[in-house]
Amino acid sequence: MAGIGSLPLLQALTEKMRWHQSRQQVLAENIANADTPGFMERDLNPLTFDEQVKSLAQVTVSTTSPNHISVSSINGTEGFGSEKSAFEVTPSGNSVSLEDEMMKVAGNDMDYQTVTALYTRSMAILRTALGRS
Amino acid sequence: MPDFLSSLKIAATGLHAQNARMRVIAENLANADSAGKTPTDRPYQRRIPTFKAVMDADAGGEVVKVGKIALDQSAFQERYEPGHPAADKNGYVKYPNVDPLIEAMDMREAQRTYEANLNVITVTRQMLGRTLDILKS
Repeated sequence: MAGIGSLPLLQALTEKMRWHQSRQQVLAENIANADTPGFMERDLNPLTFDEQVKSLAQVTVSTTSPNHISVSSINGTEGFGSEKSAFEVTPSGNSVSLEDEMMKVAGNDMDYQTVTALYTRSMAILRTALGRS
Repeated sequence: MPDFLSSLKIAATGLHAQNARMRVIAENLANADSAGKTPTDRPYQRRIPTFKAVMDADAGGEVVKVGKIALDQSAFQERYEPGHPAADKNGYVKYPNVDPLIEAMDMREAQRTYEANLNVITVTRQMLGRTLDILKS
């Protein structure tokens, strides 16, 4: 893939934005089902730096022997986190706490804002390099 | 691929479900005194909305659906009103098993969940706006 979007920094930011988008959906599911009997609250596994670096590794180590571990073969995995100890499970088996979900939604929004701001800044830096500030 | 639009869709089903719940509550409260006309008539029986989580391929996630509206099986209230046309031979009239206090609490819960879903929509729209802001810079 060529173009500006293939820069590792922008790729990492895009990945992070995608993660926040997915998380927003999971949180929306939790809140929509806040009164559904038997519904257990879910969340995404946090996006870790290690995973991101692995999936973005553009410079890979050459594997000249079968004993070598190739870096690019290890991919970042995204999945649902195991249900943590919920604040409270109602008698109907629902573990969604609206307060917690609201906090998560607000946090997700703020983190997303950080990422988009960083993206904008990165583009501004590139524009400076092009001499079109 | 999940996107913000599916988050909006899922939150919208939440609004829909709470709206349906409010309608049932209104029905219950409106009929809180609907006794029969004759002693053999059954008074109004309290209705209970049921919710279930359904996997929706369109939204790409678990949305909430309103299941069937069930009937409350608890006993009817009985009041001593000998002059009432629906009074039995001992003078008791069967009134609906609706407790306005419980309905009021249910209404509060529905309102609170509705607000939470509304908040998700607001925040998701904000995030969508931020994505578009990248283009503006």
